[in-house]
Amino acid sequence: MTRNEFITRLRQGLVGLDPDYVRDVMADYETHFEDGAKSGRSEEEISAALGDPGRLARELRAEAGFKRWEAARTPGNLVGAVLALMGLATIDVMFLMPFLFAMFGIFVGFSVACLVLVVVGFALMIGSLFPGLAWFGLTGGVEMLALGLVGLGLVALGVGLGALFSLIVNLIVKALVQYARLHFRLINTVTQEA
Amino acid sequence: MSESLQVQLKKGVLEMCVLALLSGGDNYAYEIASRMAEAVGMGEGTVYPLMRRMQNEGLVTTYLVESPAGPPRKYYKITKSGALALKSQITDWQAFEVSVRKILGDVA
Repeated sequence: MTRNEFITRLRQGLVGLDPDYVRDVMADYETHFEDGAKSGRSEEEISAALGDPGRLARELRAEAGFKRWEAARTPGNLVGAVLALMGLATIDVMFLMPFLFAMFGIFVGFSVACLVLVVVGFALMIGSLFPGLAWFGLTGGVEMLALGLVGLGLVALGVGLGALFSLIVNLIVKALVQYARLHFRLINTVTQEA
Repeated sequence: MSESLQVQLKKGVLEMCVLALLSGGDNYAYEIASRMAEAVGMGEGTVYPLMRRMQNEGLVTTYLVESPAGPPRKYYKITKSGALALKSQITDWQAFEVSVRKILGDVA
């Protein structure tokens, strides 16, 4: 593969990532080709030693996805990070697939559950301010107070569980990335040797 | 089988090797890549994602040096927390190495 082919394929693999980031990455590899040429290696030799540009792009993409998720822990970035990890697709990720799907299902389910707790809690608190509504047939002052407290409890429960859950999701994503790193780094050395 | 064991071992110690290399003096990526490729048979291209991650984690920093010919060159320097990480990784590695050797000693 010539220098141009390598650079073009790497750039194609990084399409859609932050332009500044892509420029940095491309500069790294351009410099590598120049340094290699200075030490007397041919473009073919250099690109062979660098490895498959498609795979390198997937590895860089996964790393960038993980960084975005660390910077802003939104559901969108979680999906992005997990998709980028899956973009490294080899047999190892195939083993991980059921786990990833389960994790995503649990993530969505749990988020919805926490949200429902908070919404119901607020509704109860609001209901307790209006005895006239006679929710659950309750009208008395003490009953209203109890209703309000139950509502407050539900809101606190929802928020607390949500916080706990996001901590757990963080740990899981970290572990997953660790796993992916261990399994994909150096892989082009292996394919070359094989 | 032995090839896969080698690959697994290399994966685990890559970061430690790069940190050790940098603790002997600042260096630029091409040099790090060729030293690592020579020493542990690491694919040269994988040095860049590795350096980027280590930079994100604050283990190394970069600075530019003007070069007489061509664009300025990017050098990598090990940070304080990188030096600490290296120290603890070396301790782990040595403890691991000693226990493996003990077991192997019974066989060989």
